[in-house]
Amino acid sequence: MHVTGDAVLGENKKERLDSMKRNKPLALVAGAALLTLAACGGGSSDDGETGGGEEREFGGQEGGTKDAERQGPAPEVEGAAAGGTITVYLPGDPGPDTLDPTGGWSVTGNSIQQALTSRSLTQYIRDEEGQPVLVPDLATDLGTPNEDFTEWTFTIRDDATWEDGQPVTAEEVAFGICRSLDSEAFPSGPGTEYSKHYFEGAEDYEGPYTGKDPKCEAWDGISVEGQDITITMSTPFPDMDYWGAFMAMGPAPLGNASKPPNYGQKPLANGPYKVESYKPNEELVLVKNDQWSGDSDPGRHQYADEWVFKFNQDQAKVDEIMLSGNSDSQTAVSTALGSGNYNDANSQLGERLVQQTSQCVSTLTPDYNKIKEIEVRKALAYAYPYEDVWISGGEVPGVTRTYANSVMPPGMAGKKEFQVDGEQIKYDPEKAKELLAEAGYGDKPYEITMVYYEVDPLAKDAQDQITKGFEASGFSVKAIPVQESPYNIWLDPDNKVNKTLNLRGVNWCSDWPSGSTMLPPLLKGEAVYNTAFFDEASVNEEMDAIATMPIEEQADAWGALDERIMTEYFPIIPTAFRNDLFVFGEKIGNPTGDGSIGAPNYKDLYVMQ
Amino acid sequence: MTDEPELDPNSQQAKEIAGKSPMRIALGRLARDKIAVVCALFVLFFIICAVFAGPICSLFGVSLDTPLASERVDGLNSGLPKPAMGPPDGPFTWDHPMGVAPRTGQDNLAYWLHGCRASLMIATTAAIVASLVGVVVGLLSGFLAGTVDKVLSFFIDMFLTVPFLLAALTMAPILNERFNTSDNYGTIQKVSLIVILSLFGWMGTARLIRGEVMSLREREFVQAARVIGMPTSRILFKELLPNLAAPIIISVSLMLPAFVALEAGLAFLGIGVTDGVSWGQMILDAATPLFFREYPQYLWQPMLGVVALVLSLNLLGDAIRDALDPKTRR
Repeated sequence: MHVTGDAVLGENKKERLDSMKRNKPLALVAGAALLTLAACGGGSSDDGETGGGEEREFGGQEGGTKDAERQGPAPEVEGAAAGGTITVYLPGDPGPDTLDPTGGWSVTGNSIQQALTSRSLTQYIRDEEGQPVLVPDLATDLGTPNEDFTEWTFTIRDDATWEDGQPVTAEEVAFGICRSLDSEAFPSGPGTEYSKHYFEGAEDYEGPYTGKDPKCEAWDGISVEGQDITITMSTPFPDMDYWGAFMAMGPAPLGNASKPPNYGQKPLANGPYKVESYKPNEELVLVKNDQWSGDSDPGRHQYADEWVFKFNQDQAKVDEIMLSGNSDSQTAVSTALGSGNYNDANSQLGERLVQQTSQCVSTLTPDYNKIKEIEVRKALAYAYPYEDVWISGGEVPGVTRTYANSVMPPGMAGKKEFQVDGEQIKYDPEKAKELLAEAGYGDKPYEITMVYYEVDPLAKDAQDQITKGFEASGFSVKAIPVQESPYNIWLDPDNKVNKTLNLRGVNWCSDWPSGSTMLPPLLKGEAVYNTAFFDEASVNEEMDAIATMPIEEQADAWGALDERIMTEYFPIIPTAFRNDLFVFGEKIGNPTGDGSIGAPNYKDLYVMQ
Repeated sequence: MTDEPELDPNSQQAKEIAGKSPMRIALGRLARDKIAVVCALFVLFFIICAVFAGPICSLFGVSLDTPLASERVDGLNSGLPKPAMGPPDGPFTWDHPMGVAPRTGQDNLAYWLHGCRASLMIATTAAIVASLVGVVVGLLSGFLAGTVDKVLSFFIDMFLTVPFLLAALTMAPILNERFNTSDNYGTIQKVSLIVILSLFGWMGTARLIRGEVMSLREREFVQAARVIGMPTSRILFKELLPNLAAPIIISVSLMLPAFVALEAGLAFLGIGVTDGVSWGQMILDAATPLFFREYPQYLWQPMLGVVALVLSLNLLGDAIRDALDPKTRR
């Protein structure tokens, strides 16, 4: 799904005049927190120099793995102690609008709830190397598909309980799954994308609330037999086990107890913590759920007594708190770091500053119908001053943004480390001019029309750099300032500004580590976020064909298709892979990131006693 | 009470004074006011900066052009300027006398000079337009009285009820929506800013002038002019207006600093000038804890510009009022 959070696209970091709420949409990530600690002048940290921190680099990443055998309890984290309160600051992040598991589709809400309060069919854990592993959760294994992945059976464990002590039954899980089909009650829930698309009969079923079917009897795509739940699919769905890790694929109390929207205020917890209080956009307090038993859960821990999540915090304020080392900051976690403080944080915090790859790519999308020559599209890639845009947009080159070679982000299964032109495309105005001349546009500047988000000075500064780079490379740029999210322009086919554009952009994150959540949404003809309007019949057919391939061949097939699209058509200019920075207080144990979702690893954190 | 010595009415000096026009007396008073002179010099300095922004920039070899950020700032050092670019990490350099901006590497001197130009140009134009409107409305309303006065007074009151900031906030997106594809977007932005400032700035002058006119129109010389059959326009412009010079000059001189401050404030909020060439936008960029700690000059430069200009304009305005008012003696 798309993310904001890029100055080029205009995330309004100051949130001054813009009351628009921007949930950071969900990014499931296969890569993990990676910090390679290159030895750097040992013992020199007290000489007062700012550059004395660690060099952070990308280590090798692998695609996510699965372990269907994993059983509870989860292995203890070394040195972990119980007790204490962990405060999590979420700068510039309004948090989820609702805590209803079925409605959650944001990095913030899902990372918190899936780790602490709301269980689902499957879940991710972080292994010793920092890689995410898909393991069972409420199901006893990762589900059993039939041969062509049109029928999945999950066996629900019998020892999981709600916070009120009642057991979680298979019927309740089935009802929770059924809720995800109600796209009117949960318009921004992930079920609208996956349940609706794959589950048998889902298209015609309005859901338990909209369809006035409170017991979910009118939908026969799911059947419950004892502890077994069987879901039938209308199209083969080999990634059902990944989809099962969304909290939307978890239980909900039957009947009125879980009726939206009230249920979203205080959902019944079945994880190690329950909701104590929740003020949307302000604060969420979680306390221990004494009915949860570690034996029933292969992934979660219950170390801290209490969690306090503070939303919509001011980045500068949080940075000051975290860097001050005072008692407030010792048991606190921050989910972002202002780029300006990166150096200080890097030298002071050591391994308490965690760099987390998020499986996201930033792109520019030249209009395939207007910019027809591949040479011009490549010229644009050479004309884009990558590092200068990152710097002026407030990013740290090589840390929060790195060069990208294709659409599939690093760490995704099947990803190929190819380079379109043999080596990484970097800013090279001469090469861009040559390419333009090859395409026959050598005599006068090639006109580019694009938009930028005027309200954010960072976006304006980044646009200045883009304009500078493009104009030095033989283009002329008309940059149109807009006061709403550029996505509103790009995705509106009737917008008069949009009609004049020949260069757009999208930031995209995967929902799970498969090319199927990256390539088709961006590059299949007619896809909503295909703002390049790239539409090649052979590519579309291959995308359809890969979905029906044997599961073990799919990853490589996506990787190969990624390479083929980029080398043959170059329809999209990947400008960066993205990373997040998390800051942990000095008394927070096991400071790590959760590679599956791009958030702190809430499951394994504890307070040092 | 008074610093002017008592004079013998028949002395040479007294005769000289008697021969001076009120304006000359006022200017003479102004010239003796030390604060006024200093402020006037300050204002003159800013006016020179604004008018000759281009030539001064070329003199120093700096320009508004956007450089490639990585050439001038260090992305791994919080985007602060590289040592070769001058402060905060390097020594002063004539290449960039006021340093370069963090993150973008734009030259501070060029932006400061052109920011001064934008500020003064917008404030001056808006002050002139607002006073013109205010004077005309005030004259008509005060002199014609009756229905005209009622209607015009209603408009004055109506504009006073509209909250300025709210109106400006609403206008910004509307203007953007309408004109963002235009090639002259920057100019349109400035023109509309002038329109908004003058649209909400004329009422004070209008009321002031209206009051003055109401007291003047019953005076003998106006009555006399009426009796001998002068046309209204001639009474307004030849008889009344010269007597209103003082309040008009005062209102303009006090409107200027208010508009300079408003322009900067609106730019800071991101609803005035948005192309970055404005003191308000420079302050917005610089006002982060980190930049202020590591590179305070970056914030001080536009801050001092705004403060010095507004303060000197204000004090000068006060001094002009004192000088023009025959009743004040300092």
